Amino acid sequence: MIDKKVLYEEILPSVSQPARYVGNELNSVRRSPKEVEASILLAFPDVYEVGMSYIGFKILYEIVNNIPEFVAERAFAPWPDMEAQMRLREIPLYGLETYEPAKSFDVIGFTLQYELTYTNVLAMLELAGVPLEADARHEGDPIVIAGGPCASNPEPMAAFFDLLVIGDGEEAIVDLMSEVARAKREGAKRADIVNRLAVIDGVYCPRLKNPVSRRVVTDLDEAEFPRKFVVPFLEAVHDRVALEVMRGCTRGCRFCQAGMIYRPVRERGLDNLCSLAKDLVKSTGYDEISLLSLSSADYTQVEELSRKLVQEYADKGVAVSLPSLRVDSFSLELAKELEKSRRTGLTFAPEAGTQRMRDVINKGVTEEDLMSAAADAFESGWDLIKLYFMIGLPYEEDEDLDGIADLSRRVLELGRNMAGKRNKAGRVRVNVSVSSFVPKPHTPFQWHAQNSREELMRKQNYLKERMRVRGLTVSFHNVEASFLEAAFARGGRELAPAIARAAALGCRFDGWSDQFRPDLWAQAFKDVGIDPSAWANKSYAYDEPLPWDHIDMGVSKRFLVREAERAARAELTPDCRTGACAACGACADGVKTRLAGEAWR
Amino acid sequence: MVLRVRITKGEEARFISHLGFMRAFERAIRRAEIPVAYSEGYHPLPKFSFATALGVGISSEAEYVDIQIDPDGPKISVEEAFDALDRNMPPGIAVVAACWYLGKPALASLIEYASYRASGCGALHEAAEEFMAMDASLGTITTKSGEKEEDIRKLVYSISMADDESLEFICACGGRAHLRPDNLLVHLSSIAGVECDVKRSRIHRTGLFVVEDGELVSPMDYKCKDLVIAKGWMPRELS
Repeated sequence: MIDKKVLYEEILPSVSQPARYVGNELNSVRRSPKEVEASILLAFPDVYEVGMSYIGFKILYEIVNNIPEFVAERAFAPWPDMEAQMRLREIPLYGLETYEPAKSFDVIGFTLQYELTYTNVLAMLELAGVPLEADARHEGDPIVIAGGPCASNPEPMAAFFDLLVIGDGEEAIVDLMSEVARAKREGAKRADIVNRLAVIDGVYCPRLKNPVSRRVVTDLDEAEFPRKFVVPFLEAVHDRVALEVMRGCTRGCRFCQAGMIYRPVRERGLDNLCSLAKDLVKSTGYDEISLLSLSSADYTQVEELSRKLVQEYADKGVAVSLPSLRVDSFSLELAKELEKSRRTGLTFAPEAGTQRMRDVINKGVTEEDLMSAAADAFESGWDLIKLYFMIGLPYEEDEDLDGIADLSRRVLELGRNMAGKRNKAGRVRVNVSVSSFVPKPHTPFQWHAQNSREELMRKQNYLKERMRVRGLTVSFHNVEASFLEAAFARGGRELAPAIARAAALGCRFDGWSDQFRPDLWAQAFKDVGIDPSAWANKSYAYDEPLPWDHIDMGVSKRFLVREAERAARAELTPDCRTGACAACGACADGVKTRLAGEAWR
Repeated sequence: MVLRVRITKGEEARFISHLGFMRAFERAIRRAEIPVAYSEGYHPLPKFSFATALGVGISSEAEYVDIQIDPDGPKISVEEAFDALDRNMPPGIAVVAACWYLGKPALASLIEYASYRASGCGALHEAAEEFMAMDASLGTITTKSGEKEEDIRKLVYSISMADDESLEFICACGGRAHLRPDNLLVHLSSIAGVECDVKRSRIHRTGLFVVEDGELVSPMDYKCKDLVIAKGWMPRELS
């Protein structure tokens, strides 16, 4: 165990948010890593409040800890003040449950949710006292693995992991832990254990560069979902009962990685969800149930589910919410039912400003849809509408930027007119959030270059000038950050030295605008002689090998090419739940679209 | 009906912020299915209120909370509420006493004094005696609006040396007059002329007090009935 006295008496009184580092929350599981057959430290390379909001992390924690022979603990990236203290007082990274050093676990498993957490992964490994490069690890070092959406292009971080798990983790993690336990019983050496794990379905070993197909949970009702969550003392970013109503989305937005790699749609049954909600409310005491998925309004029985939950919990002070809204009247009716308070505003994501551009990205939304949904929202008492757009999309022209400005202003105008009837025109606000398109692997846009940073800056300024209107607030994502994200999303192994160098120079929490240091990143790339624009701003040809070709995420390359070409012609592809099958390739070997209430059992 | 409970903030919980502590308590109420009254409006909140905030890093055995019980809800006895709440507290928080409060004034407005024990303060014993003998002693205190100079002596009710290494003291607490315990320790250090890293010294809150007829009494001895105390636990402030 680490020196708890030093932690409690010397370190914690002097750092911000000390509750991040003490653990001991309700429903956390304490079981000595030394007394079980296999132990894993689930490591989230961002701060506690972010990591504790991530449902995948909760699922894995529950699955491992429901098996008495195994244990999973948690570790998060320490904030820079804490990292400095840990280095000064020689406190290694530790598991929050038993304060055992990270190095004493059999496995350290990182969640790769976002490219700009990569330097935190390295900082955490260094704090753990584990050699950064997989090749440099020896007998006694933990096996370092990773999973999550960024594992779908593992190459930029490949050098730092012994193994990566590709796809859904529910079943894979049990296979891994079981094999670790078996190998330990048989007295296997570390290198042998790694080799034995490497042959498990869905496991990628960077040293072997083995082609790998993702793991898929065919039936979400059969898959384990937590019946209790660890309840943080700090307010997590998403601090509520999160019910994953389904996985996957087949709306087919061409920029969206999640909409490709989690196909097909697999819904949880209504009764199962109600039972999970009951247990989770009882075990956590949360005051909100959130229906989680990529597009929860698409859940086939969303109305019935919402009604049942509201009926059950309204008088118990527990609210029901939908985190993402489609741009249509159905979603708005739901929101009106659920959101009794109109304070938080409503968010719509038209993503692009003109019909042509929305057709290019296959966002099946018309201006009419948006305007009527917005009208309904203002009519129902909302004063604040948030709009999400992207710039730098393939085939974008300046007139598409004009479209963003026009649409935003028209929504504002509409709101003023409608609220004007209630003499509340002055209260209407429209917040517009504009991000820069990042081409992602396994999407139809994976071959496209990101706009140069200069071009993205020009487009941001172009928009700013056209959106200086009272009541309209525009915010932009940092261009340098989106540029790095693109390089790491589409890059190969060559990038590893730059990430290591940046971490050594002190880059941390790159996704946090107040921590991001583009100057240090520029120096890191210069020091190792790598130009990141060779990845971020490079177009790949269809027949050119891609750094992630050996990772099969279910959707076929033929489908992605077809979609890329339809995008060039601004042609829509319908959702396979309602239209024809687009032959994306995700349905195979028993994997298929499963909708709640359908008799497929 | 108002249920008054006394809870602890133990070693594992002392780094939780006051907001986090309140949230943890609210969730425990919900898990325990206490028939709490809810506020009106779009976002109904359970009606409960803490006596006073506790600084991050300080542990306590005397945090008081008043819970408004829903008059139309199921009947519940003090014993039942005590057991249900205690079973549902997160690690580091325990219920040590509960009772019905029959008075009108809000808990927060009643509290006038708090008692603390600070360990690792042997070097301050002489200064403490000196300080208590003074009529006034100007020092720096922290208030909501920042630091200011104030007569600290008049904010201190008593100081005693429990053993070689610790100090026990009672000082003003609440809306009318308030002294943070670390402010007193810093002040005593400056009188003693010693370096005292107050953050490191361990402070523990042992009691909160209401003034009734010039006497300091526990909030549970003030217009309360049906007091239930945890088995084997003796409130220090009552002894």
